[in-house]
Amino acid sequence: MKILLALDDTARAVDEALRLASEKGASLTALFVLDTGWSVYIGSDFLLGSTARSKFLEYTRDDELSQEQASLAAFRRQAEAAGVAFDIKTASGGRIAKEIIMEAAQGYDLLVMAAPFRRGLEVMRDAPSAILKAATCDVLFVRGGE
Amino acid sequence: MEERKGMAHILAIIPGLAVMIGTLYLLRTFVEPWMKEAVVFGQKGWLVQVLSLNYILLSIIAGIIYRNVFFGGKIPDWAEAGFRTTRLFIKSGVIMLGSLYTLQKLAKVGSIAILLISSFVFGTVFFVLWYGKRVGMDRSMIGVMGASCGVCGVSAAVATSPGVNAKPSEVALAIATILGFGIMTMFISPFIGKALALSDYQFGAWVGTGILNSGQVLATCLAFNPTFAPGTAVAYGEIWNVVRVISIPFVVFIITTWACKAEAAESCSTAGAQMKLSKVFMDRFPIFVLGFFGMTAMSSLGWLGAEGSNTLHLLRDVMSWIFGIGLVGQGAYIDIRELKRAGGKPLRVGLVAGTLKYVVALVVIMLFVSKDASF
Amino acid sequence: MSEKAKGKMTVFKTDRHEDAAAMVFVSLVVAAVLVYMAYVVPTVTIKPNQDGKVVAIKVQQDQEIKKGDLIYTFEYKDKKFVNGELQEKLATKDVLASTNGKVLTVGVKEGDMLKKGKTSIIVMDHEKGTLP
Repeated sequence: MKILLALDDTARAVDEALRLASEKGASLTALFVLDTGWSVYIGSDFLLGSTARSKFLEYTRDDELSQEQASLAAFRRQAEAAGVAFDIKTASGGRIAKEIIMEAAQGYDLLVMAAPFRRGLEVMRDAPSAILKAATCDVLFVRGGE
Repeated sequence: MEERKGMAHILAIIPGLAVMIGTLYLLRTFVEPWMKEAVVFGQKGWLVQVLSLNYILLSIIAGIIYRNVFFGGKIPDWAEAGFRTTRLFIKSGVIMLGSLYTLQKLAKVGSIAILLISSFVFGTVFFVLWYGKRVGMDRSMIGVMGASCGVCGVSAAVATSPGVNAKPSEVALAIATILGFGIMTMFISPFIGKALALSDYQFGAWVGTGILNSGQVLATCLAFNPTFAPGTAVAYGEIWNVVRVISIPFVVFIITTWACKAEAAESCSTAGAQMKLSKVFMDRFPIFVLGFFGMTAMSSLGWLGAEGSNTLHLLRDVMSWIFGIGLVGQGAYIDIRELKRAGGKPLRVGLVAGTLKYVVALVVIMLFVSKDASF
Repeated sequence: MSEKAKGKMTVFKTDRHEDAAAMVFVSLVVAAVLVYMAYVVPTVTIKPNQDGKVVAIKVQQDQEIKKGDLIYTFEYKDKKFVNGELQEKLATKDVLASTNGKVLTVGVKEGDMLKKGKTSIIVMDHEKGTLP
């Protein structure tokens, strides 16, 4: 059995994925998707001057990169503590849900993720409902208070 | 999407651009003339006269429909590069708007605009600083909301965020709030303006002062009166807009300095600590405004033909096409589903500050700005 | 890795480039319009920019006119806000030639009604190199 864990900024689903993986003896892959959608998100604004836009895009990129490191490091720590073998994958794209769906179609049996899913601009979107519609494997949403 | 180089880069623009131009062509040759004739509720041209559905609003609506209905919420890869040229078109349109003025006219209205705008900008900024603290927003987000409600909406939010170390996910909420509010005011302002019988001068001044996101000021003025000529709503509104845009670097500087003064300067980036006004100005000044003044200088010197001449007429016609093309693209950047998810404290602060500014501006304009056009 | 997350703008690197491009684009557009009007356009049709009624027409076919010559006078409803009240009164306005040239046809006569941007008042052949 192959389990895919979609990492988000809250790390709410990590425990559940680790528990499932060790219970079923499944292989676990953690996926972190980096959001590159900011350029489109602020794309309509034409009043920005000089380098303000590129500075902001760099700022969001740096934020995304540090989030990536933090999420992956936290996951690694927890997985090693739980003694579960794991694999890490990263991807990037303007739509996080799309990247997750694409990865989940690569022969996984179960996708585990937090709902609501907090990753980059997903605050403004609804990854869980998009994934629920399009995912080809089983999906487990880990609910949690906001 | 992989990075393209050179010619391929430019060729990638064509499909999206073709969609924008084609849409505007259809709207202007078929849809708008039909709407002018169509009888709705027993009145000829009701759609245009009462709802202000002229080609300006129609192009934005067409863009919104593309993005939200046909494209299913995401600009597809084949059109993306083309739609990104929307900013180039709007900027070009704004530069060409400079030809509506002469330097004397600009000086005459400009001083009133500066007075009104600076009092509203600082009024709003201080209100947000106070209200944001009451609601319990953190300091960096108060800074972002203050800048965006005070000056130019999204542009100010984006220009301020890195300096005050605001969390991008919160900034996303703030942007959705401001954009959503701007779009709402864009559709209701022409209606209110006509109901209250505001003159073009009053309408331009009101919209220029009261609308949260400057990106929508021009479209709103054009929705009220789609003519490009001296003395129309867009001619007045644009002066207000230019003053606002120029003030962005100053407001960003003041807000960043304020945020940096926080206890232990927690919400302050290391670069912000020894920030200089000149540096902020260089990084944030919108250069295209210089082009606007260049056009004004050319028209003051009479290089563009006399007022009422066929040359100016053609120039303004070209201008209206450039704006229309850009506005289709602007609409395509509006994702209704994203806007609906705006929430949290940014939404609360944005709505309160935005509504207050919008209403107070209307009252001030109706009381103190006469209907008589000033040029 | 560091490049993968960087959002792209248009073909431009920053807004500074984009602003410069917009200015170049506008210069080209303006230059094209001016050159077209000064040298290329075959004939110029003078149309009213307001609705109104022709009171007097001072040119005839084949007449050579100079810049500043009176072409026609028309009567229109002048709508103006005076002390906050919309006032309408009849006013007349002279329309002068903006360039030298030769009148090819005259399309209206005294007493004709004018439709803004529609009625053709005169068609003229303007002196090349001037802006009609």
